Amino acid sequence: MTSIDLALAGISLGAIAALSGIGLLVTYRTNGVLNLAQGGIATLVAYIFREMVVEWDLPIWLAAVIALAVVSPGIGLLLERLVFRPLARRRASAAESLVASLGVLVLSLGITAGIWGLGARSDAPSIFPNSSVRLFSDTRIGVDALAELIMVVVFAVVIGIIAARTAFGRQIRAVVDDRQLAELSGVPADKVAAAGWAAGTTMAGLTGILLAPRFQLTPYGLTLLVLETFAVVVAARLSSMPVAVLTALGIAILQSELKQFTLDGDAGQILTVLQSNLFIVALLVLLLAVPKLRELGSGDSGATASFSSRGAPPSGRVSGVRFRRDYLGKLGGGALLLAPLTFAPSDLRSAFMVPALALIFLSMVIVTGYSGQLSLGAAGFAGLGAMLSLKLTNGDLFGLPAIPGIASMFVGALFVAPIGLITGYPAIRRRGLTLALTTFAVGAVVSRFVFEQPTFATGLYLDPLTLFGWELSEKAFYVFELICLGIGLLVVRNLHHGRLGRALLALRDHSEGAAAVGVDVRNLKLLAFTVSSVVAGLGGTLLVHSSYSFSADDFAPLQSLLWFTAVVVFGADSAAGAIVAAAFIVTIDVLAPAGSSTLAIGILALALGWMPGGLASAVRGLLRLLAQYLADSFVDPNQRAPRPVPVRISAVGHLPATTGITGSTGIPGIGSTLGAARAGHYARWPLSGNQDGLPADAPRLTPFGSSLVAMVQQYAAAQTAGARQRHAASTDGVPRPAVTQPPGPAPTGAGVHPAEGGRA
Amino acid sequence: MSRHVLQAVGLVRRYGGLTAVDHVDLVAPPGMITGLIGPNGAGKSTLFSLLTGVEQPDEGKVLLGSTDITRMRPDIRSRRGLVQTFQVPSLFPTLTVADNLLVGAENRRRDYAGGLLGLSAQGRGRVSHSVERALERLGLAPKGPVTQIVEEVLDSLGLSDVRDTIAGTLPTGALRLVEFARALCARPDVLLLDEPASGLDSEETAKLSQLLRRTAASGVGIVIVDHDVDLVFSVVDQVYAMVGGRVVASGDPETVRNDPTVRSVYLAQAPLAAAGQTGEAR
Repeated sequence: MTSIDLALAGISLGAIAALSGIGLLVTYRTNGVLNLAQGGIATLVAYIFREMVVEWDLPIWLAAVIALAVVSPGIGLLLERLVFRPLARRRASAAESLVASLGVLVLSLGITAGIWGLGARSDAPSIFPNSSVRLFSDTRIGVDALAELIMVVVFAVVIGIIAARTAFGRQIRAVVDDRQLAELSGVPADKVAAAGWAAGTTMAGLTGILLAPRFQLTPYGLTLLVLETFAVVVAARLSSMPVAVLTALGIAILQSELKQFTLDGDAGQILTVLQSNLFIVALLVLLLAVPKLRELGSGDSGATASFSSRGAPPSGRVSGVRFRRDYLGKLGGGALLLAPLTFAPSDLRSAFMVPALALIFLSMVIVTGYSGQLSLGAAGFAGLGAMLSLKLTNGDLFGLPAIPGIASMFVGALFVAPIGLITGYPAIRRRGLTLALTTFAVGAVVSRFVFEQPTFATGLYLDPLTLFGWELSEKAFYVFELICLGIGLLVVRNLHHGRLGRALLALRDHSEGAAAVGVDVRNLKLLAFTVSSVVAGLGGTLLVHSSYSFSADDFAPLQSLLWFTAVVVFGADSAAGAIVAAAFIVTIDVLAPAGSSTLAIGILALALGWMPGGLASAVRGLLRLLAQYLADSFVDPNQRAPRPVPVRISAVGHLPATTGITGSTGIPGIGSTLGAARAGHYARWPLSGNQDGLPADAPRLTPFGSSLVAMVQQYAAAQTAGARQRHAASTDGVPRPAVTQPPGPAPTGAGVHPAEGGRA
Repeated sequence: MSRHVLQAVGLVRRYGGLTAVDHVDLVAPPGMITGLIGPNGAGKSTLFSLLTGVEQPDEGKVLLGSTDITRMRPDIRSRRGLVQTFQVPSLFPTLTVADNLLVGAENRRRDYAGGLLGLSAQGRGRVSHSVERALERLGLAPKGPVTQIVEEVLDSLGLSDVRDTIAGTLPTGALRLVEFARALCARPDVLLLDEPASGLDSEETAKLSQLLRRTAASGVGIVIVDHDVDLVFSVVDQVYAMVGGRVVASGDPETVRNDPTVRSVYLAQAPLAAAGQTGEAR
């Protein structure tokens, strides 16, 4: 084929990428959300379209109309109404929007995989006839390419005109600038946002339908393809539509042109990979090269704090009760982790995955939860760790001597450190979405150029692990995994304590502020990335050993997104959350059909809008609510002291807010703490002036409260000296503020206070 | 300990065609409070970020003592003794007040890897962290120099009551104070304060100026940028007045106030007139 033929062949893919880019830009320009779910939505629509044509025998045109005029915009409107409007209303940070769109991505993947399975289908229908038109002499161009190109031009021109020439375009700009302000000036912000979403998802659906027949239709594969087109919008710096279109066509044509070259040796191999992966390479290169993608990461320092609720463990002394409760929790968790040792062999084998995944999740807790960097490349590190350790065992890594299995696992994981360090470098200057995309691109490039290449991924033999000549039994392997997990937990603990922990949290909370007092921001970020990559590497090795094989799919770039979402859902700064998340995913995957865990994580991620801080802090908040409810049922509502109103403030604004404690305590935007966690702080460290609002006389009890108090008193009277002492103390008649201090420390504690108040 | 003097020599910063800072020279000696005033767009903020290292100058140098710190990152400058506070208080909202201060106090050491391995965080020999914690629990741990500084600063600023409060729950006035305390814990030679009085009521502002005087008396050099001309003129030892990116007048407050250019720029502007009166009354 000549260059011209190749160029024409590339046009079709370029046009589709351009359509995807236009969709992303429309959503971003109208809503300020970079819609990572674009790929998932495209895949879902493509599957629905195929279902209508292949299974229901609808005519292609009708199916296309339904898919593109009903289903796609419908998805967009639903998303806007249910997910993104609430976020915009409370001025959620870019990081929160990112997690929400990740949630949508995971959810749509889960739905697709849940309904149609993970298998590949090659019968996706094409909307355009498979014919071509003669351009000149014997050069022909496909009808599809021509039609797609026309669509791109039409859409770009129409959207351009709308944006620049119409009142609606002005409204859009107003809404993006400042939604609240625009609404005050009478702009129907919700309608503008909804229109943007509908247009964006329609483009996504179109992308999916057009891409599907060109490739095999698989949930993960197609989604990833669409994600790769992010290169286009990065090149356009999220604003210029012509640049996006030209970049899309340029990359696609270049990729097509590469097919006329062949090289020998290693370079040839790289060229072969490039011929089908130029988009992902372009994404990485552009992210590293485009200077100051300000739009993507502006002012988002410490954005991840919005899903990490807790601060450092207090540096002072820990109270005895808390200390004991801490240890009880740890013992309970330990017992649960040991439980699989009593399982039947097949169930034990299923449980192998839990510590392995938990380690990978811990690596994300380190980098995202503790140091506040959004990293979407965990699967890459895990896969590299696994591959390097297997190669070490087999003795074909850089001519190094073969190392026995267990030692090679640790050495292999350590070999990931330099790669983590290099990946950490972009993180020094990047943050927020830019960093998230960069790490994702690194993971994707590693996956395409290493894991999927026969040179690297073949000959990875898994020998049974031995220790001092003894082959590890299955139980012994599980124990070994737990030991690794223990090491990981120890590292995490050290990262969270003392000077290092404080410095990391300072970096997460406010990186400029940290730098201002001399925290070495650069080295801390690098440290977090490096340590995290080693932990992920170790987890990856264990993962391979627990599934008895190395499969590139286990470490596909989309896995990183799924895992990241899971970690955030279960509390990004909670080591326990990481373990629970791993157990959750493995349990569902074992018990339910494929894709169910993805679905569950997706649903939970969207629910995160109502429980920022992850499940861990939602549980904490729920306990507190319960305690409060119990306390309330003892006290007459009219007699209650004003209660601190949990205030939620977005990470962006430094808006003063008021709480109920002192009437008007100005709290500058703190970007992180959520209602529940903050209520807890109040409970533990009441501000001065807290008692001002308390009623002067003792609270009256409800009938239920009185009867309970009577019972308690009866019981107490008959009890030993210790009980009598408490009884005596409560007869002093002084109302105790604790009675109405709203978030009771624990349900059990709440039962005692009314008894004291009741005597007054 | 002798404190370093902060010096800006011929600083220039251009944005496209606009010269935001135009050959500015500035000296902030230890123990003195230096004010930086000017109308909006005069280049104060740009000059400030050149001093803190957030931005790099196109020409000129920033010296701390005899060291050229022009190309150093903000955190390195901070470790060398040039510490800043922000227009919007920049505390670590999830940490307690005491921990916020500790982060500042611990800034001179960078060996984070030791912490990773669980080694002693405060350099009292290589006692492992757990042993240290056990000692602490028994009440045997001696207070290290770092903790001592934090306690001293907490005491002297009257913050002991809130030492265990989560910083994010404090009202603005207290946040400013804690941020200032955190900067003090970093043992600065020169403090750069960006509008420290914004968001404070008049009583808090009065307290702040006392505090600034006290801090300067201990030998720390202070540079203060503020719209509150009242505050600036009541507290500073010397003033630089900027207009259009240039320093148009400098010297003691009296001289600057009577400078014809400054008068013409500020003519009929209430704040300076008020400042003039208070200054004369003093």
